[in-house]
Amino acid sequence: MNAALAVDLPAIAAALLATLACGTLGNWLVLRKEAMTGDAIAHAVLPGLVAGFLVTGTRSVTAMFIGAALAGAAAVVLATLLRRATRLESGAALGVVFTAFFALGVLLLETQGARQVDLDPECVLFGSLETLFYAAPADAPWYAGVPSEIWTLAAAALLAIAFSALFGKELSSLAFDPSHARLAGRAPRFVERALLAVVSAAIVASFAAVGSVLVLALLVCPALIAAPHARSVRGQIAISLAAGCVLAAGGYLVAAHAETLFRTRTAVNSAGMIAALLALAVPCSHLVRSFVSRRPA
Amino acid sequence: MSTAAIGANTLGVLAGCMLFGALAGAVGTFVLARRRALVADVAGHAALPGVALAFLAGEALGLGGRTAWLLLLGGASTALLAAWCVPALARLRRVGPDAATAVVLAGFFGLGAVLFSIVQGHPAGSQGGLRTLLFGSAAAMSRAEVIALTVLALATLALLAAFFRGLTLVAFDEGFARTAGLPVRALDLLLTLLLVATVVAGMQLAGIVLVVAMIITPAAAARLLGGRIGRVTAVAAIIGAATAAVGTLASRAVPGVPTGAAMTLAATAALLVAVPLGHLAKAARA
Repeated sequence: MNAALAVDLPAIAAALLATLACGTLGNWLVLRKEAMTGDAIAHAVLPGLVAGFLVTGTRSVTAMFIGAALAGAAAVVLATLLRRATRLESGAALGVVFTAFFALGVLLLETQGARQVDLDPECVLFGSLETLFYAAPADAPWYAGVPSEIWTLAAAALLAIAFSALFGKELSSLAFDPSHARLAGRAPRFVERALLAVVSAAIVASFAAVGSVLVLALLVCPALIAAPHARSVRGQIAISLAAGCVLAAGGYLVAAHAETLFRTRTAVNSAGMIAALLALAVPCSHLVRSFVSRRPA
Repeated sequence: MSTAAIGANTLGVLAGCMLFGALAGAVGTFVLARRRALVADVAGHAALPGVALAFLAGEALGLGGRTAWLLLLGGASTALLAAWCVPALARLRRVGPDAATAVVLAGFFGLGAVLFSIVQGHPAGSQGGLRTLLFGSAAAMSRAEVIALTVLALATLALLAAFFRGLTLVAFDEGFARTAGLPVRALDLLLTLLLVATVVAGMQLAGIVLVVAMIITPAAAARLLGGRIGRVTAVAAIIGAATAAVGTLASRAVPGVPTGAAMTLAATAALLVAVPLGHLAKAARA
């Protein structure tokens, strides 16, 4: 296989799958005005990930998933308790809890030697898309050489899309009219908790490959890019995924080929590049919309 | 920078840390009262692109990448720009403050990640560089950086003291402040400036990612203990100074522990102690 393809293809695949997983669910978070909850979860799962690694001694996906899910749930519960005990605004309560969890995760990473594997605090922030590559196996089917992150991300993307398709009606009524959802008895509590769980799964799956900065960008930006152009929730999700995928692939290619494009000494961080492009696209998309609607029909 | 020089400067570094902790606690009291906790988070992360640009500019101008005042100036400019972007973006249709905060944070920190990787690939950036700025490191601070931190922190504290009354009124009774003819917008801008100054003063110590914890957690603990605004601010400053000192000493004692993580955990411990104490105090008053 072509050497450039062996490096670029897995990274692009990972970025696209993370866009599908986080981008789909991000629409619900943004509609519910809970964008920063995604950021808080993305920070709070770190100690659980590291603890899962430390307990099993390997980068076992299951152990890290269980650890991260427990840490994420604990953080959400603690933030709620803290808000009740202190009457802090919800942003402050979240901030106090997620910085504490993240600090604990960094402490565990730096002191317990987990950084000898490819989890280090910089990867946690900025991802490690650049280190994913396809190694064609000698005596195994082709798919044995695909990095394990890709399979995890594919599962998370499937889960996110299936969840949104199955519970679309309930999620919409929760987002637009929570009191009606409660009255109509669409099991709002169950759907709310399930959304939180599915979001956490998407975050944990994406975390190691794309880092916390891109997880946050993927949760909020595609939905906001799509919002001014969509007439329905379904349409918004479709537009957001299309825009997210174009920007993710484009951002990766620009970053990976920065040496030739911008004459930098090395390739630049691709997760950061994608995140910056996604964020920039939000005001641009709104500008385009207001320009189009001002023109006489 | 040799280890002997750091040893001789230990007391100076510790004093600088405690000054930063006191400043963060005091400013944090107003940040919490004005519901700006997440803006503090944005300002911290948004300092990264400015710091990285300042590093590259310092190298290009022959000043050296880690020129203290240049890094402070660079970090403050992008942090301020981001703080201005949040309300501007929140005004767009269907965006709102929460999503605007997330977009600005992701955009600036993403740009920071790109510039950071350029700095790390730079010949001067591969040794030392900016890696310690992510999670903070008291040990990596040079003498010039400690002096810059001290001057900036003292100036910010003086500004806070000078406008204490106005900031208090705006934070706790905006309606009254308006009718009393106070310049509410100017005072809000002042609070943003104080916040950004605190963030960049502490970024080498507490790190860009966790500096927000030193601003909100000690202030939250002090608020639990109750009292009037003057007392809460003083208590927040004391808790901030104490947790900054504990964090700095702990990160020196255990190799590999970033100062920002140690400080954050010390501040969280203070908050956990303050929760029952606050309830006891309330019960005693009742």
